[in-house]
Amino acid sequence: MSVIDVEHVEKVFRIPHEKRTTVFEALTGLLRPTDYETFQALKDVTFSVEEGEMLGIIGENGSGKSTLLKILAGIMRPTSGRVTVGRRLTPFLELGVGFNPDFTAVENIRTYATIMGLSKREINGKVDEILAFAGLETFRDAKLKNFSSGMQVRLAFSTAIQTDPEILLMDEVLAVGDMEFQQKCMDVLNRYRNEGVTIVFVSHDLGSVRRFCDRTLLLRHGEQVALGKTDEVIDRYIYGRVAEAPAESADPVEEAPPAEEAPSGNGRVKITGVKFLNKFGAESARFNAFDPMTIRIFYLARDRVPDPVFGIALYSERGEHLYGTNTDLKDVSIEYIIGEGHIDLQIDRIPMLAGRFLLTVAAHTRSGERYDWQDKAYSFDVIPTGRDAGIFDLPCVWRR
Amino acid sequence: MMAFDHLRTLYGYRNLIWTLAWGDFKQRYKNSILGYFWSLLEPLLMLVVLYVVFSNLMRIQVEYYQLFLLLGIILWNFLSRATSMGLNAILGKPSMVQKIYFPREILVLSSCITALLMSIFESLVFIAFMAVFQVPLSANLIYVPLILVLLFVVSLGLSLALAALNVFYRDVQFIWAVILQAGFFATPILYPIDIFGEELQRIFLLNPMAHIIMTARDAIIYSTPAAAGSLLYAGAMSLVTLIIGYVIFAHYEPRFAEEM
Repeated sequence: MSVIDVEHVEKVFRIPHEKRTTVFEALTGLLRPTDYETFQALKDVTFSVEEGEMLGIIGENGSGKSTLLKILAGIMRPTSGRVTVGRRLTPFLELGVGFNPDFTAVENIRTYATIMGLSKREINGKVDEILAFAGLETFRDAKLKNFSSGMQVRLAFSTAIQTDPEILLMDEVLAVGDMEFQQKCMDVLNRYRNEGVTIVFVSHDLGSVRRFCDRTLLLRHGEQVALGKTDEVIDRYIYGRVAEAPAESADPVEEAPPAEEAPSGNGRVKITGVKFLNKFGAESARFNAFDPMTIRIFYLARDRVPDPVFGIALYSERGEHLYGTNTDLKDVSIEYIIGEGHIDLQIDRIPMLAGRFLLTVAAHTRSGERYDWQDKAYSFDVIPTGRDAGIFDLPCVWRR
Repeated sequence: MMAFDHLRTLYGYRNLIWTLAWGDFKQRYKNSILGYFWSLLEPLLMLVVLYVVFSNLMRIQVEYYQLFLLLGIILWNFLSRATSMGLNAILGKPSMVQKIYFPREILVLSSCITALLMSIFESLVFIAFMAVFQVPLSANLIYVPLILVLLFVVSLGLSLALAALNVFYRDVQFIWAVILQAGFFATPILYPIDIFGEELQRIFLLNPMAHIIMTARDAIIYSTPAAAGSLLYAGAMSLVTLIIGYVIFAHYEPRFAEEM
C-alpha cells in the first residue's frame, strides 16, 4: 500500500527582475506589469512510496531534491499536481529547529521535542534518556550558548530521534558531525527501517543510498530521470544516460586542454585528449569503485614517429603520486605512429574506494625525451560502493 | 464547519502554542528577576509623565484619573505589543517556516499569547493601584473577561494580517508603527471621550478600541455595567477584524517559505 503519492508535481519559482518589497513600490508598480523570469524547479514528477519502503532521492545540486522534500513536508505547495500523504510525517530537514541559545539544555529539549510533535507526557519521560544518548547528562542546566557546535548537534539529534515517525523525510542532516556521529545516525536510520518506518532519504552520499534504499529516484534539472532499483539508478546517475544516448554524457572535464601553450615536450606527438570509458563503453567522469574502466588517450603525430612510449601517472586530489606506468614498463612496443589515433589503458577493476583522482598523460621516446606531457590535466571521481574506509581497496579476509 | 475543524486542529497543537509563547515570554525577561522588575517600571514611568502633563497642563478632571490613565495604557499597550510582535512572528522565525511544517498561524497566535502574558504581568501594577486608591469592586467585573477576549480577538486579527503582509512588504512595520502612534492619541486613553462634541465623538467611536477601553473602565473602575451597544459593536468589529486578518493570512501563507 502506498503512503505517499506524488502525481505530476510541478514547481515553478517566479523570480521578478525588480523585486517589490515595499508597499510604496507595490502601489507605484500597479500600473506597470512586473517582468519576471520563471525557474522550473520540478517538472512532472510522479512516484509513490510504499509503506515500509526506503526511497532514495539523488541528483546534482539544484536538481530539485530539496524542493521536492519541502513539498512532501507541506512546507511549500506545488504549482500544479497533487501530493497525498497517508501517514504522520516527520521531516528531518534541519536539526535543532527552534533552538534558543539563551535556554538550558533541558528547556531546549522540551521546546524542540514539542515542535517535533511529542506530547508533554512523552517528553517528561524522555528527557533523561535524551541527555544520556547525547552524552550531556552533566550539562543539564547549562545554557545552550555555552555548548560547542558538536554538542548542540548531538543534543538536537538525540531529541529528534525520540519522535515516533510513520514517515520520515531526511535531508542531508547526516552530513554534519564526525565519523562516530555519522555512524550513530546510520544506526538510527537502520533501526527505523527495521521498525517498518517509511523513509524518504535525500543524500549525496551514494554509498549510504546504495546500502539503505530499496528504490531510488534520480532528478536532473527538476526532471525525473529515473526511478527504480537503487543499483540501476545509481549506475545511471554515475554513468549518465547509458545505452540510450551516450553522446549526451559529455562532461566538461574531458575537454582537450590547451595543447598549444604546453611547452612540455617537443610536440612531435601531441596528446589531443583523454576519455574515461565505463563498463558500457560510454564516456564518464564518475565510476563506481571496483568497476572496470578504460583510459583512452588520443594522439596526433604529424610525421612518422618510430617507437614511441605512452605513459600515465595517477595522483590523489592532494597531489600524492599513487601509481605510474607506461608502455615500455609493460613491455608493449609500438613500431611507429603517424596521424591521429588512440591507445587504451584497460583497468579491469578500479581498486580505489572513493575520491577524486588526477591523471597525468605523457608521450616520450624510449630514452625519456618528451614529445608531450600533460600534468594532472584530467580527473575522474570514484563513488564508494562499500563501507571500507580509506583510498584503496586491499583484497583481504578475516580469519580466526 | 471549516472554522470548527480549524479550531480543533489548533487545539491539537495547544502544547506547541503554549511552549512557544512561554519560551518567548521567558526570553524577553532574560530569565531574571530584574528583567521582570524593569518591565513593570515602563508603564509606571509612562503613567507618571502622562499624569503630570495631563492633570496639570490640560486640566482634565476625571475621577481616579491615575487609574483611568493606567488602565487605558495597559490595554492599548497590549494591542500595540501584540501587533508589533505579531508583525515579526513569521519573518522572525525563518527556520520554523522553512524547515518544518505546522499551521503557521500558530506562530502568530503564540506571539499574541506572549503579549498577553506580558500585559497580565503589567496589570499587577494596576491591581496594586486599585488597592491603594481603595476603589470599590462590584459585580460588574464579570464583564472584564468578555472585554479582554474582544481585545485579544482584535489584536489577533490585526497580527495575522500584519504578519503575512510583512513577509512580502518590508515597510509594513514602519507604516504600522506610525498608525499605532496616531492611534494612541486618537483613542480615548489620555482623555475621556466627552471632551469632544457629538459630531467628533461619533467619528472617534468608530474605533473598536475606544469601546473596549471605555467599557473596561466602566466595569473595573467605575462600578458601572458595560454598555451593551459598545460591547455589541466591539464584538462585531473584532470578529470582522479576525475574519479579514485570517483571509489575508491564508491568502499569503502558501508562499511564505519561498518568499523569506
